[in-house]
Amino acid sequence: MTFRRTALALLGVGLCACSPRGARAPAGAEAAGGPAPASTCSAGQSPFAEAEARSRMPVDQAEAPRSTAVLIRHATIMTAAHRRYEPGFLLMKGGAIAAVGAGDGPAPEAGAVVVDAQGKFVTPGIIDPHSHIGVYPSPQTAGHDDGNELTDPVTAGLRAEHSFWPQDPAIERAVAGGVTTLGVLPGSGNLVGGRGVVVHLSPRQGARAMRFPGAPEILKMACGENPKRVYGGMKRSPTTRMGNVRALREAFIKAQKYTRDWVEWTDRQGKPAPAKKPDDKGGPDSKPPDRDLGLETLAQVLRGEILVEWHCYQADDMLAALQVADEFGFKVRAFHHALEAYKIRDVLARENVAIATWDDWWGFKMEAYDGVPENLALFTEAGGRAALHSDSPIAGQVLNQAAGKALAAGRAAGVKLDDDDALRWLTANPAWVLGIDDQVGTLETGKRADVAVWSDNPLSTYARAELVYVDGHLVFDRAHPGAPWSDFELGVRGMTARETDR
Amino acid sequence: MRAGGGTRRALVAAMASALAWTGAARAADGPPVAIVHARVYVPGGRAPLDYATVLLAGGKVQAVGRDVTVPLQAVTIEAKGKVVTPGLIDADSSVGVVDVSLEPESDDTDVHGVMSPALRMVDGYNPRSALVLLARRSGVTSVIVAPHSGVLAGQAAFVDLAGDTLAESVVRPTLAEYARVDEDTVQASAGTRGGLWLMLREAFGEARFYAAHRAAYDANAARPLGLPRASLEALQPVLRGEQPLVVTAHRASDIEAALRLGDELKVRLIIEGASEAWLVADELARRKVAVVIDPMANLPERFDRLHARSDNAAILSRAGVPVVIATFSAHQGRLLWQHAGNAVRLGMDHDAAIRAVTEAPADAFGLRGYGRLEPGAVGNVVVWSGDPLETSTRVEHVFVRGREETLVTRQTLLLERYRTLPIPRDGSR
Repeated sequence: MTFRRTALALLGVGLCACSPRGARAPAGAEAAGGPAPASTCSAGQSPFAEAEARSRMPVDQAEAPRSTAVLIRHATIMTAAHRRYEPGFLLMKGGAIAAVGAGDGPAPEAGAVVVDAQGKFVTPGIIDPHSHIGVYPSPQTAGHDDGNELTDPVTAGLRAEHSFWPQDPAIERAVAGGVTTLGVLPGSGNLVGGRGVVVHLSPRQGARAMRFPGAPEILKMACGENPKRVYGGMKRSPTTRMGNVRALREAFIKAQKYTRDWVEWTDRQGKPAPAKKPDDKGGPDSKPPDRDLGLETLAQVLRGEILVEWHCYQADDMLAALQVADEFGFKVRAFHHALEAYKIRDVLARENVAIATWDDWWGFKMEAYDGVPENLALFTEAGGRAALHSDSPIAGQVLNQAAGKALAAGRAAGVKLDDDDALRWLTANPAWVLGIDDQVGTLETGKRADVAVWSDNPLSTYARAELVYVDGHLVFDRAHPGAPWSDFELGVRGMTARETDR
Repeated sequence: MRAGGGTRRALVAAMASALAWTGAARAADGPPVAIVHARVYVPGGRAPLDYATVLLAGGKVQAVGRDVTVPLQAVTIEAKGKVVTPGLIDADSSVGVVDVSLEPESDDTDVHGVMSPALRMVDGYNPRSALVLLARRSGVTSVIVAPHSGVLAGQAAFVDLAGDTLAESVVRPTLAEYARVDEDTVQASAGTRGGLWLMLREAFGEARFYAAHRAAYDANAARPLGLPRASLEALQPVLRGEQPLVVTAHRASDIEAALRLGDELKVRLIIEGASEAWLVADELARRKVAVVIDPMANLPERFDRLHARSDNAAILSRAGVPVVIATFSAHQGRLLWQHAGNAVRLGMDHDAAIRAVTEAPADAFGLRGYGRLEPGAVGNVVVWSGDPLETSTRVEHVFVRGREETLVTRQTLLLERYRTLPIPRDGSR
């Protein structure tokens, strides 16, 4: 089967999004000197993005204060950009990477922190593109069980941001594993679970303030066993895979109509965007269509304003998902889990669909029965973009080991891979999955200074993240752990005394 | 306690059933095998031997050392630069009792009920499960198939990961009795800890009473008992000290409560889970009570493990507690070496971590001949391409009872099929 991209008639009217988060310039992109986040359009204005902009809060992520200069020297620098400096240096300044290269680097400026990292390894901060930290926090309690809204198979109007508990003790442990950014997603009980949120890891009191500046909107979708099991158990549709696909197509048909209604209304205003408030009664034909949060999200998917992160395991399910995407003219950014991606790696690579997967998980359900530890390696060999994800607050602390294991499995199968390929599974590729690859994921001048310093090659079992920087700020120092980030862990002996008596 | 006629009959029956399991063990055929020039992990706290030989014959380890004479007829495996360990023992596994976790028909890991001490995991064990081969490819040669639900959960089986029949693979059909006092079990049973401990004490109290009044029980002249006869019988080996009682407990106070129960009943205890065991490390060390743990479980996942921490294994090991590391998994045999490796990353001594998946489980569960490379030991041996705990290391040879086993699995067959994409002639997928 080939995937012919049908033209979306609705896009012919000349309206187009300039950025997935609306007219606001992404502050982070500017600070990092990077371009605007990925978008399929380059001009015009989206009515939905405008509506979204009106819902912003006064506590939006502010750009972190500019960090002082930090110079890390005498380390092995693994850039994830096909370069390795041994020994090399990394200079962080003003929240960004100011310089990186071989040798000792420039003479440190006055006031700069100099880190002698002899024998250490420096990498970009790890990006976990599939996490439920904060929405399924520790401890597991009814009070904080906020990951799956199992009341309807299509809940596109939800946002993980509004479930995210920033006091989840798992956040700090992820950082201790070298992780600096999470793609936090709703669960996979629904066909469309809701929008995910990309969070940049430093302690905050609310999710909005942790949002990765300029990150595009992402949408969690799911195919296969989970939705049909959940709703089949309730004796309502979908109970089958064909029920899954029908419900999804029906949802997108409604989103097409919703788009049409808004476009027609916008056209009638003779303006590129609804400048007036929805309840204004200005002209004779000015009453706008009713807003529907779910349809608005799906309509933005149709317009390429939201990245689709689709939970699918089996090759046949992924092909069916691509069929739906093709029918409605949207792109799939990444299949998550994707245990059978190796079977159709040529198709996914050709369609530029990434995968986010585990190193070797398999067998916990039928659709996970054909997982092989060579999946990432084979996918990479075929030219596909493969990322590691955790889906687990424990596995998410040792994603670097997962890369080491998947690399070893690939090499044993005769796939030619270097350490940098494996590192890209942890950094550059998940950055692309989340649409923030212009800002993070490699150690290159101008990128955000999200950096991990490791005791050993990070692909080794024994490697410990010793220093972790976010935007050039030291957020984790293994030798000086301090008080726990989470208010919940105050007074708990395991944390207040943690790892200090070694 | 004086054994009555009934006890003696039960003992004879139990021994006969054990014989039935092990009597048909696989014949160790073929010539001797000599693994030469390897770095060999040896027991007794000694440093690994470099450039050493391991000689296998008759299903057993015949010799280990640097001056072993290799018989002329032996098959020689050149292992220069390789590492040889005893086959790893996964002390809490569901290999062989589940194929696909979410498909109930293929899942024999859990029972519905909270008091099933007579349940025997061996009755659900399938030596032909695809998972057996996968675990073996990860260097695991024996597993303890443990029950996972209930206040008294049942009896674990100890199996070697080889052989096509139960008779060939099962080593000890009823190795240990399992109790659980963790948060989930409290919720699934009495609803409170006090209620759960009451259930446990009553069960053992009835088992004691039954043993002392068997004749009256048989004559229907004893007081009525809540547990069925099979359950009362199943608890006797624990009360006689012939089987350990393995208690899953996480909270430090729950572990202390388990130790008190052990004192009352005078039974041999092992603590599983044990997320907060580091808080009572000295007490566990003093009593020489082994713990079976997942060293990566560092999250306050539940209220009964708020004090979970990354270096639990390291602290326990340094305090002198016998530390056993397990996967608590069915599909992820690879987790065994990875768990041990992470214990090292988080501060445990490397050789102690190797022992935690070899000697320590053998010692804790009384598995004579297992977990050690020494003359007379069972010939379960793994040859690794390097450090067994490192991500880049591969398993190169696995011997179970002296015989080399295949490393082919469902996964290697899938890889073989898809190493080159089988694209149909018309290019469609």
